[in-house]
Formats: sequence, C-alpha cells, structure tokens
Amino acid sequence: MSLLEVKNIRVSYKKRLGIDNASLEANSGEIIGFIGADGAGKSSLMHSIAGVIRFEGEVVYDGIAYHSPKEAEQVKPFIGLMPQGIGLVLYNTLSVGEHLEFFADIRNVKKDEKFQAYKEKLLHMAGLSAFIDREAGKLSGGMMQKLSLICTLLHRPKLLILDEPTTGVDPLSRLELWEILDSIRKEEGTVILVSTAYMQEASKMDKIFLFDEGEIIAQGTNKELIDSIRPYVYEEVTCKEECLSFNKRTYSLKPLHVNRAEPTLEGLFFVNALKKKKLLPQVVIAKRDKEIAIPPVVMQAYGITKRFGSFTANDHVDIELKRGEILGLLGANGAGKTTFIKMLLGLYPIDEGELTLLEKVIKSGDDRQTLKSKIGYVSQHFALYNDMTVRENLIYFANMHQIPLKTALNRIEQYANELGFKEYMDELPTALPLGVNQRFSIAAALLHEPLVLFLDEPTSGVDTIARAQFWEILKKLKEQWNISILITTHYMSEAEYCDRVLLLKQGKKIADDTIENFYKTHPDAKSFEDIFLTYYKDVE
Amino acid sequence: MKIFAMIVSKELLSFLRSIGLVLVVLYSFTADVYIAGSGIQIKPRNVVVGYVDATGGGVSQKILSKLHQPEFRPPVMFLSQKALSDAIFNKEVMVGLVFDDDFEKNYRSGKKAQINLLLDATAASQSLTTLIYLQNIIIDFQSMNFPLVLKSHKLFNQNADNHSFIALTELLSVITLLIVILTAIVFVKEKEDGTWDIMLLTPVNPKIIILAKSFSQVLIVMAGVVLSLGFVIFGAFDVPLNGSFWAFMLLTFFYSISSAGIGLFVAAVSKNVMQVAQLSIIIMMPLIFLSGAWTPVYAMHPVFQTLSLFSPLRYYIEGTESIFFRGTEFIDLWPYFSGVLILGTLLYLYGFRKIGKLF
Repeated sequence: MSLLEVKNIRVSYKKRLGIDNASLEANSGEIIGFIGADGAGKSSLMHSIAGVIRFEGEVVYDGIAYHSPKEAEQVKPFIGLMPQGIGLVLYNTLSVGEHLEFFADIRNVKKDEKFQAYKEKLLHMAGLSAFIDREAGKLSGGMMQKLSLICTLLHRPKLLILDEPTTGVDPLSRLELWEILDSIRKEEGTVILVSTAYMQEASKMDKIFLFDEGEIIAQGTNKELIDSIRPYVYEEVTCKEECLSFNKRTYSLKPLHVNRAEPTLEGLFFVNALKKKKLLPQVVIAKRDKEIAIPPVVMQAYGITKRFGSFTANDHVDIELKRGEILGLLGANGAGKTTFIKMLLGLYPIDEGELTLLEKVIKSGDDRQTLKSKIGYVSQHFALYNDMTVRENLIYFANMHQIPLKTALNRIEQYANELGFKEYMDELPTALPLGVNQRFSIAAALLHEPLVLFLDEPTSGVDTIARAQFWEILKKLKEQWNISILITTHYMSEAEYCDRVLLLKQGKKIADDTIENFYKTHPDAKSFEDIFLTYYKDVE
Repeated sequence: MKIFAMIVSKELLSFLRSIGLVLVVLYSFTADVYIAGSGIQIKPRNVVVGYVDATGGGVSQKILSKLHQPEFRPPVMFLSQKALSDAIFNKEVMVGLVFDDDFEKNYRSGKKAQINLLLDATAASQSLTTLIYLQNIIIDFQSMNFPLVLKSHKLFNQNADNHSFIALTELLSVITLLIVILTAIVFVKEKEDGTWDIMLLTPVNPKIIILAKSFSQVLIVMAGVVLSLGFVIFGAFDVPLNGSFWAFMLLTFFYSISSAGIGLFVAAVSKNVMQVAQLSIIIMMPLIFLSGAWTPVYAMHPVFQTLSLFSPLRYYIEGTESIFFRGTEFIDLWPYFSGVLILGTLLYLYGFRKIGKLF
C-alpha cells in the first residue's frame, strides 16, 4: 500500500469546478509533479490533500483516512504546506533567524541539539547561513522562497505540499530549491507534491500529472508521457485540419507524410486539445489600414535608473528597440521588469538616464502626449473594465483614441474575427477564459494601430496552448505590421520566440543579445534555461 | 467634447451595472431620508402615564382626563407610589403622577395644592416635553384672572413640524456623503482594477478625464436628489416649497461640484475602495457637524462658529432652508450662492490639482 492515496477528489466552488475525479498514489521519497495553467485545478487538489479546504472524496495518509478539514487535523503534524505566492508565509519585519524560531515554536518543535543541527543544515542548504539577521522583507524573491521552504521543513513533515514554489523565481534559486527538495526526500523519505508552471522542471519529478480545466489529462513519468504522444508529432509542415504547428513541430491526429519529430512534454497539451477539439481559433493578421513610416530605431534608453527609497529597482539599464523586432525582457519577479516598462511608458518618472522614443527625446510628460497614439500597452493581468462587455470595452478604447466610429467598428469586427474572440463579444471580461482575455486585451491595444507595443507579462498563468498561439499572434503582427514589440516574461523558455533578449537581475542588465548569438556563444547549452543560468552564475 | 460625453456615458453605464452601488444610492436617497425624517421624534407620542390617586377622584380625574391621544395613552392607575416607581424603573411607564390625599382638600380650600411628578429623564426630550404639556394643562385648568393672552404665530413652518426639517437636512447630508464617495470610487476603482495605467496612456487630456468622471457622478447625485424630492420630501412629508425649485437645483449642482472636489482629494490619497469609505467618513463628519445640520450654528462654541464659515454645507443648508421655508427670492440668495461657489471652486481646484498630479 502506498503512503499517500488520493481517491476521486472533487472540489467545486460557487460558479466553477476546481478539480474533478482526481486520484493519485505516492510512495515515500517520491516527488510528484503537478503541471498546468492557472485555474487548472492544481491548487484545489493540493489544498484538499493538505486538508485546508472542503472536498469530496477520500485521502488516506499512512492508513489514516480523512474526508474533511476536520478529520484531517490528525495528520496535520505530518504535513508541510507552502502556499502559492512569493514570500506569502513570511513576515517582512522578522529576520531569517526569527522566522526559524517562530515556525519551530508554532509547530511545537523541541529545540534540542538535534534540532539545532538540522536547522543549521537547512540554512546551509538554502545558502542563507550568512543572512540570519537580515529581515525577510529585504531578501530577494529566490531567497524568500528558500526561506519559506526551510520554514516549512522545520518540523520534518513526511508529506510536503508545495504550490508553485518556483514560479517567478530566478533560475539559479530554482535550481537550488530543487536541490533542497531532492536531498530532503532522500534523507527524510518525504513524499513531495509540487506544482509548477515550468515544463522544464518535469525532468526532476518521479511522476507527473498534467492538469487542464479541472481535470488530470495525463500521468506518468516524464519519459512515459513523452512517448505517449510520439505518434502525433511531426516536423513542422503546413497543414489544415485537425492539426496545429508550434515551435518547429506539427501536431496531428491524422498521419502526415513527413518525418516525425522528438516530442516535448508541452506537446501533450497540444495533443490533448486536438483530441478534445477545443482549440482556440487560428489567427490571421491583415496589413495595417495605411502604411506608416517607422524610424529604424524605435526606442533608445541609456542609463535608466529608478529608485524607491533606498531600493534601486532599475540600475543604469541601456536598451535599444529596433523596427520590427520582438525584444524580450526576461527576469525573475522583482528583477525590475515592470518598473522598467512603466518608466518607458511614463507611468513612473525616470530618476536618471535618457530616453528617446520614436526619435523624440523625452524630457517631460508633455513630450509624451503626442506619442501616446503611437504606443500600445497591455498591462499585467489584462486590466480591462470588468463591468463593460468586450464590445463596449473596445468601443470605449477606440473613442479614447479618437478613432472615427465607422473605422473603429470595422476594426473591432475585423480583430474579433482575426483573433477569434467574436463569440465572446457581448460577455463581461470576468466571464472569459484567460486565453481569450489575453487576445482581447491585445486587440484593445492595437485599435489605434500603434507603432510599438509594450506587453507586461501577457503570458503569465495562461495555458500552454493559449501561450503558444499568443506568440503566433505576435510573430504575425511583426511580419504584417512591422511593429516593434517589447515583452516581459518570467518564462525563460519563451526567449526562444524573441528576436533579441535582455536579461535583468535585481535591476541590472546582465545579458543583451540576439537569439542566434546566444546560441553561438553557448554551443553546448541544451536550452535557454541553461544559457541564462551561466549569466546568473557569472554575476553571482 | 465628444470624448467628454463618451467618458460620462461610460461612467454612467458602469454605475448602472454595479447593482450594489445603485442600491446604496437608491436607499440613501429614499429610505434613509424617510427614516431620518419620520424616526426622530421630539414631540411626545404614546407616552404611558401612571398615577397614584389617594384623593378619591374629582379634581385629579379631571386633570387626568386632559391627557389624551395621540400624545398620551390612557393613564394607568397604580395602588401605591412604590408600585409606580417600580413601573418607571422597569420602563413600563414614562411619567408618573402622584396625588396625595390632601391634594383635593388643599385645592378646594384655596391653599397650595401639589402634584408630585415622576419623570423618566433617560428619555430626556420626550419626558421634558411631556412636562411642558402638563404645565400647560394645569395653566388651562386654573382660571386665572390676568389680562394677558399669548397669541403665537408660527412662521415658515406652520405646523411647527420637524419632519420636514430633519428630512431635508438628512437629504443634504446624504448628497454630501454620496458625491464624495462616488467621485472617489470612480477613480479608485481604476486603481484597484489596474485600468488606471491604461487610462493614463490614452491620448486624452487628463483634465477632460477628471472633469468628465466627476461630472458623471454629479449627474447621478442630481438624479438621486430629484427622486428624493419627489418621493420623500414632497411625497411623504409634504414639505412646503415656498421658493424656486430651479434655484434649489442650481444650488445643489454647485454644491455637488464642491463636494466632488473633496472626492477628488480622497481619490488621490486612497489606494482602494475600503480606504475611500474610511477617509470620506473622517473628512465628512466634521463638515456635517460644523454645518449646523444637527446643532444650530449660533448654539456652537465661538471657535466652531468661525470654523463653520468654511463648511460649504453651512451655506448650502441655510440656502436650502431659505428656499424651502422662507421662500427667499432668487436675487436675495446671493450670500448662499457665493458661499457655496467660492468654497466649492477652491475645494474643486484643490482636489483637481491633487489628482492631476497622478496623471
């Protein structure tokens, strides 16, 4: 019998399903991975197993069965739960040492020599030994996550539940987090349930569960899963029906007469979508209404600096955005990506540095007034007016940009068709799937046919397929409109789809080059993840 | 101008879509004003009187027969003063009358007769007004040979009815509070939802955005005022309107703009709707207290009297009362209009600049 058995868990919220019919088994020392988009049901399942929310079904841990949070009380001493969100369990004004004392106290851990030794070991593993006296609020995102993790480990839980511990964390800290997990499960025999937004982390898991819309769509080892879709993956080819192409591969349920390609884990989501026939419609981008002359260099910035009190969010960052280029601004949470974009847009004043936008030197807010109609912006979480329908939102934005009503209506109609959200036109944004919201936000930013597009984390939390198609949209936009795009993301793997990438770490630029050059200078790197890791290590 | 109209209509649409907000506004302008107007009672009504009569009736019963409805319930008899005191203690009776056994003897023989009156002074105003009633009854009862008659003329409010005053004052307070909160919310909601940045990046003059957004909320409040006047002030309480309706609407419009200025200030310093609610109350309470809404200005401490000159609500209330009860001519309303306008312009400009800095 397995140490942990989860049987037919179902969690439903007022309006939607959290997770349905989820079952799994785990043995001592295993790392079980949950992969899926926001709202796919990972957290619901984790919280059910941790016994912190109401659920239907049964969980059996070490022979103790529980069906409700109340019954789960008896296993709580063995469980460690780290909820989603960086530094959520930490107190900003307590130091690292005080945190460890506090978490040991609330878990009623006896502070004997053994505990002290264990604490030292954890601190050492997390690389926090030198920061015992530093306040948690002053740690970087990666350090916060490591501190959260060792705080969760203090009472030596036998069942460790980690909800997206690595999301938005820098690649180096992510590696270290995984190393800690690996040694803990080996030494303590802990069952570790961990969810992640990054496919690349799958190789570190013993068993993988893929989540989509409240359902587990596949499970197995990394190899099993990849093998399961081998028959459907081909080299990229143009095809029409029941197939889709992405990232140099074409997925098709019908046999194609081309060579097969090596599948990847994310391919599972594509194949699943093909099988269920629930793809978002393909996109088409037509030419601009009228061609506009765009300068060869759209934006230049030198030594851009932003300080919030004693904290430097951006430290002398240089950037150049050329015509028709997709520039990726990569970095972990807190690396200064959003601050940087906000300075470029004039939402934050620039403390130091020079900025030239569309050949105009920006000195004051008035300089920007005429440029506003040439810039499109999609903010984090697709902020739109939630009490107006998609159509009303778009008409409102068109009016704000003073587009003649007839042109505006035509354009809205056109984008709705091209970007495939026509059927959602009369719904409120809150009722839409994230992927559709993402498309309609970009339509709102494109209404006035801007010359340059700023996108702040447009792919965060969105499911694999919607993300893939979103990148398709950007690529086509670039080709058809010759538009320049500056996009921020914390998915290192998305660097692949950019023309050039700028890597930020703690407000400083640590790398800036074209994709080809990155590959040339790092011939033995397997993925972008590896390339960026070398830069992170260099700066360290 | 087209943009202005566009933003106004968008804000009105969002307002109508947020059912919670619509309900709050409807409640404030109707039920709240009605409850305030009808609920606060200073006149005695249904007062329970208890008595102990040791005289065996006669004069005492004659006096008691003058206590009739709707002010008083039929008096209840108690057998001893102890029983009466207990009843007052238990709040069963508010006023107790004790006729001692020598009361009638003294009265008949022309000596000083005495009625002992027990009042539950926790219901202060009701019991004290009852006292005045009783005194009047006794004065009526004595046939005094004194060649002086008091003939009173009640001006402006012939029924000396305080429903109309209180309902009207409540309406004015509601206008103040709502315009501040609504104006602040239209801005702060954008901050909360993250649409603020997008709003800033549209190539529209920020001044137009601020003006249009605050104007849309003034419109909502003006509509609420019309509702409240129709259903509650004129409908339920039959308040007389001796002056010009349009003068009142114009004064309300100017006043709303001045309060919108406070709303802009609140919006500039708050991060979320919760803070708006807290801050609005903190700012509005002194303004309402200083305005003379609840205590007449002349009854305040001299320092507060001076401070009240800076509350636009003071001019608004005095102006409104002049229009409704005194029927003052439009031209003679200038002190109130200028008070509201001057303070309003200053407040609005201040709020405008404060929020303008965020653009």
